[in-house]
Amino acid sequence: MDALIEALSQGRLVALDYQAPTLRYFVERAEKGLEVLELEATTTFPSLARDFPALDWFERALWEAHGLHPEGHPALKPLRDHQKPYPFDPIEGLHEVPVGPVHAGIIEPGHFRFSVLGEQILHMEVRLGYQHRGLEAQMQGQGLAQALLLAERAGGESVAHALALAQAVEAAWGVAVPPRAQVLRRVVLELERIFGHLGHLAGLFTDIGYAYAATQVGKVRALLQGQLERLTGHRYGRNAIGPGGVYFDPDRGTQDELQDALHDLGREVGAHLQAALKHPMVLDRMRYVGPVSEAQARLLGLVGPAARASGIARDLRQEDPLYQPFSPVVRSGGDVLARAQVYSEEVRQSFAYLERFLAELPSGPVWAKEAAPPPAAEGYSRVEAGRGEVFYWVRLEGARVARARLVDPSFKNWRALEIAVRGMGLPDFPLINKSFDLSYAGCDL
Amino acid sequence: MNALWQTLRTGLLTRSLDKLFRLPAWAPGWPLLQPQGLSPQVRQALQALCPSGAFQEEPGEFRLDLAHCVLCGRCRRAFPQAIEEMRSLEVAVTRRSDLIQRVDLEKGAFVEATPPLPTRSELHLPTLAFREVSAGNTGQDDSEIALAGNPFHDMARFGFSVVASPRHADALLVTGPVSQNMREALLRTYQATPEPKGVVAVGNEAIDGEVFKGSPQVVGGVDRLLPVDVYVPGSPARPPAILHGLLLLSGRVRQRLVGGRLQEAGPQSARVAR
Repeated sequence: MDALIEALSQGRLVALDYQAPTLRYFVERAEKGLEVLELEATTTFPSLARDFPALDWFERALWEAHGLHPEGHPALKPLRDHQKPYPFDPIEGLHEVPVGPVHAGIIEPGHFRFSVLGEQILHMEVRLGYQHRGLEAQMQGQGLAQALLLAERAGGESVAHALALAQAVEAAWGVAVPPRAQVLRRVVLELERIFGHLGHLAGLFTDIGYAYAATQVGKVRALLQGQLERLTGHRYGRNAIGPGGVYFDPDRGTQDELQDALHDLGREVGAHLQAALKHPMVLDRMRYVGPVSEAQARLLGLVGPAARASGIARDLRQEDPLYQPFSPVVRSGGDVLARAQVYSEEVRQSFAYLERFLAELPSGPVWAKEAAPPPAAEGYSRVEAGRGEVFYWVRLEGARVARARLVDPSFKNWRALEIAVRGMGLPDFPLINKSFDLSYAGCDL
Repeated sequence: MNALWQTLRTGLLTRSLDKLFRLPAWAPGWPLLQPQGLSPQVRQALQALCPSGAFQEEPGEFRLDLAHCVLCGRCRRAFPQAIEEMRSLEVAVTRRSDLIQRVDLEKGAFVEATPPLPTRSELHLPTLAFREVSAGNTGQDDSEIALAGNPFHDMARFGFSVVASPRHADALLVTGPVSQNMREALLRTYQATPEPKGVVAVGNEAIDGEVFKGSPQVVGGVDRLLPVDVYVPGSPARPPAILHGLLLLSGRVRQRLVGGRLQEAGPQSARVAR
């Protein structure tokens, strides 16, 4: 217990899992990397959510799924189960504005409950679970091909999820993936990241009424999606990655054309973004709006661009040998503008890595040698997706998934929105929400 | 001034309808069963190979359900003699059965399908305002609906627009397998939509749950809950296919998939009537 508290106060919670009778906390510390700390629990366990808010939703999810009671949890309410009653925390005397689950735009469902004084938001509570499809339970007992299909539909980022599942299987079986497949996987991962980031940026420009920039960024994004499809045969890069390799293998001509097209797209969108993010209207609408401080970001255990925009220099690609040398994009403002700058700078960074990967694409096979899987094995992996860290842990029996646990970055980042909107005007909410652009499905699974 | 030049240089992006419905050369097409190539071994292998369970065998009949196809193209690569390819995006249909290819194994031929149902004339409107409801979708079918409005696909040229409230809508576009937690919200959105109203199920998940079929947390298809006028298959449904579905709903194009097979285009098919 003391070791756990020490680890949590020095590091960051990555995942929490329960297999009777053991709780397993996956904690990352700068000097020790990822460790697994265990705690015995049968009916109850001591809640640490009061001191470590990053644990809040994890403990609630555990309580809901396994009936294990977190003693002393500050706000124990259901997360994904809508059969149980859900008490909101209204602030006495304030007007409440309910929004959702069906929103005005083309977006996934979720409910936001605002307590406002005039136009100012004093408090906001996120209630999700509308997208819950029972994905983790559905994965149990499936073959790997079926589990991959589910992983590709877990959150908004198909490539990152498929890659994380494939790597977890490879870690369990000790499979060495050939170098060409390794690089091709990074190529689609970076394409997905750029596609996602440009979507966030186009959405931000739309929300402040800057239609010109939104259209230009949207155009490059559509052409980029065409390149992703050209490489993998799918507009979102599904059906591309499998345990042991990749399902696509571009010939020399495709590789050259892709390189040329990406070079042009990168230059075009880079010029647009550089100009747009200096525009007085953009600065006026994005600066000082929706701030999350570094201390808050650390307490909530934020990941991905949301953490980096608040000054946390952490990106899983720092440890990936294929990306060396790598320095994460960091901004300190923590506001909408800082997040937009991180997206924009990471787009530039990803284009640069794409250029390098395609120029130095090794030749050779794209699948590892087939070997009979061991009767039982387990493994985990982490991938830096566009929105942050995707975590997969699997236990395999032969080529079947006996049990899977996955955490989408959105599950860790949703609460940042509650903090970011405090004191802001209600009309700024869509803009602040867009600056995080989190996946509802990935959170609800 | 720079901005103006940039726009002028960028030029016309919008694709003509004929070009729009064409699949890019590198994308896999829809699978089409070849009755003469379906030996018992091949049928068994196809069922084992398909990750999403699109092939089913009943006594005397072999089926391919396009609403369960994830378009990975593996069946065609492994068994080119049993699987041909259909390359079109005019795939929206008014009946669920028009997404299923049925081969009578005794005759070694397709089971004849009845002619497709006409769409409701009260929805044959020059403009169509729709409200989108995501009900358990990954977000990618939603993304494709949003992209149907981008300068390449430009749904506004057909008079289609997205409205913020169901009260202003002529049709609902529903994505996802309908999670149990979205069931009530979807029903209430439908109730709030004034008559006459159409419902379009967008994407395989909305049609029959796809990979989520069987999960107790989902209803497993929009038509279990609401009367569906048009089904748009795809994983996720591509923007041109979604546009085809909306054009079909508003009575401006002919349905081309009948019994899961693509009919001849004919002179009228890909033309906008109004």
